[in-house]
Amino acid sequence: MEIPYIVTPRKDTGLFNSKIAIWLFLASEVMLFGGFFSAYVFLRIGADFPWPERTLPVLPGLINTFVLIASSVTVVFAWASLKMRQWGRFKLFMSITVGCAALFMVLKGLEYKVKFGHQAVRLNDYTIIEGHLGKEKDAEDNYILDHNGKKIEENLIKIQAKSLTFNTVRFYEPWVEEFLTQAEHQDAKIALAANIEGTDGFSDGGEKKVPDDSIVYAEEGEPLTVELLEKIKKQHRKARKKNADLRTKFLRAEWKKVNDANPDEPGWKLVDDVKIDESAFKDEMLTEFGTIQFTVEPSAHFDFNPSDIREGATQSRLRDDTVIEGTMLASPMVFHDVDAIDFQYLAMKAVEKGQDPMVVIENSWLIKNHKFAREAWEWNKEQVAKLEKQLEEDYGFDKKTGLPNREPTEKERYRIGWKDFVAMSDGVDRGEQNIKLLEEFKGPDYDGRRNAHTFPHTSIPREQVAFASKFTPKWNNYYAIYFTITGLHGLHVIGGALVLAYYLFFGRKMYETNPEWLANRVEIGGLFWHFVDLVWIFAFPIFYLM
Amino acid sequence: MADTPEAIRKSIRTYLIVGAALFVCTVLTVMVATVPIFDVGKHGFDTYDLIVGLGIALFKVTLVAAVFMHLNHEKKSIYWIFFGSFFFAGALYFLTLFAKKDPIRDPLFYGDEKSEVSDMLASPTLR
Repeated sequence: MEIPYIVTPRKDTGLFNSKIAIWLFLASEVMLFGGFFSAYVFLRIGADFPWPERTLPVLPGLINTFVLIASSVTVVFAWASLKMRQWGRFKLFMSITVGCAALFMVLKGLEYKVKFGHQAVRLNDYTIIEGHLGKEKDAEDNYILDHNGKKIEENLIKIQAKSLTFNTVRFYEPWVEEFLTQAEHQDAKIALAANIEGTDGFSDGGEKKVPDDSIVYAEEGEPLTVELLEKIKKQHRKARKKNADLRTKFLRAEWKKVNDANPDEPGWKLVDDVKIDESAFKDEMLTEFGTIQFTVEPSAHFDFNPSDIREGATQSRLRDDTVIEGTMLASPMVFHDVDAIDFQYLAMKAVEKGQDPMVVIENSWLIKNHKFAREAWEWNKEQVAKLEKQLEEDYGFDKKTGLPNREPTEKERYRIGWKDFVAMSDGVDRGEQNIKLLEEFKGPDYDGRRNAHTFPHTSIPREQVAFASKFTPKWNNYYAIYFTITGLHGLHVIGGALVLAYYLFFGRKMYETNPEWLANRVEIGGLFWHFVDLVWIFAFPIFYLM
Repeated sequence: MADTPEAIRKSIRTYLIVGAALFVCTVLTVMVATVPIFDVGKHGFDTYDLIVGLGIALFKVTLVAAVFMHLNHEKKSIYWIFFGSFFFAGALYFLTLFAKKDPIRDPLFYGDEKSEVSDMLASPTLR
């Protein structure tokens, strides 16, 4: 079937159909992105934490802006080439456009990768430390790998466990296997704490059914295996079903009885009179095994990823509801490279309580316990004093109030960033440090600066950690909205590039059939591509410069 | 809209000029935000930076929309479709104004003026 008005305009609209369609689509896109940018404004205005201003490295964002602008120019050139019937030039410009899209996504991917690997931690007193965690090594200095073959960060919760209680429905098989592996390394045995026994059926004992003798499904001392848990799970589910059926049956009978006794009353008035009395069918019920306890003999220490466990001094619980009885051992977060110390949040909280933020910072846990933090803080105070003096000299004082016209920002006062650590290491003032171009792009060169001890090594006791995360949406609302908008924009870049690449690689036939047809198609694809550029024109200053 | 090959050939120069203007404006945006002598308003980020930054972005968007997307000589129906959507998107921004009237920020919302929650909500950062 031939689709009408794809080359020539309709008489009533004066436009070819796909043009109307793309503008309707772009209108919906304006509202979609408008909603997200509105969410950004809402989150920023209502933020109950210091909003990270100008926190992303500008260079990758700037390069990506150039790349998208360049692609917008080349896509319009590609369209113009088709209009002038220059197939070779169309191919050239469209190739550059698609190449720009690929470059944009590669750069964005690198930016995301840096964020996903960057650790942040908020201490109990609202001090924030950022940097990179070390990796666990064995006695022979080899990296320890997890069951996915990845290096394990020095951020484990260690528990000396004496018993484990599994939830028979929710237990997670890889974690059970991990327990077994870790126990085996320590020659410890994980064995069933008590017999798993119960009833599993009924025989006809005359007038009334009576339960069979109790059956032992697993005996005390039986070693932990996934198969054993699966077997118990099966039995537990069977019992749950049978018991639920009994309850339903009893409930139906009760409802009937109550309804018959009060035929004129509505159900909601009778509901309080209908109750399940389990003692009435207790003999028929099967034994459920919601949890099963195992002992660890001798007690062994197990390592857990902090995001998998809610740790406690004597009892901890995994995300799959496994309860671990045992003492929590020292489980520090070990930063091999601290690249920022941020007291902005702490200062904000101090002001809220009517306290002097400087006094509170100087009494903070980090300053009291870590020499590097004290040195960095003293250096920062000197830099702030110099900046204050400079601003007073440059901009003077307000005649009415006598206060300086310009003052250091909260960020300058309370945050010691990675460039400041470099300045300290170089022995120069803030802003005079020597930063390599690649560092401006992807952050500090930790290995290259290792010998200069630019970035301190530190260990944070677990009890000081209030909240920890990589720079992901979990860390704060800034990163949540950053990933939402830039991620959605990235998907648009991929979608647009695929459409344009289709015209580039498969457009020849269309061009030969009717060059104007392809020109119209490219115009439509180009309109979408320009829209993608428009979104980025706003996203760049909002996320990188404000 | 430039539709004939001759008219398009003439437009190429315009496209190049607009492309160059977009590059220059991008550099300007970055300079306003990062180079102290270009910093408008107070030291660091403030309302003036916001206005200038978004102003330049708006100018860039206008260039792209008017020239690259040919909105400078488009049919009226397209204007209605496209700019109509800005009305609804704009309405979403005005919804944020209601946040200030959110009863949850009222210290008496929970009934007890002296409760811990009321104290917290009455703090300067949340008001």
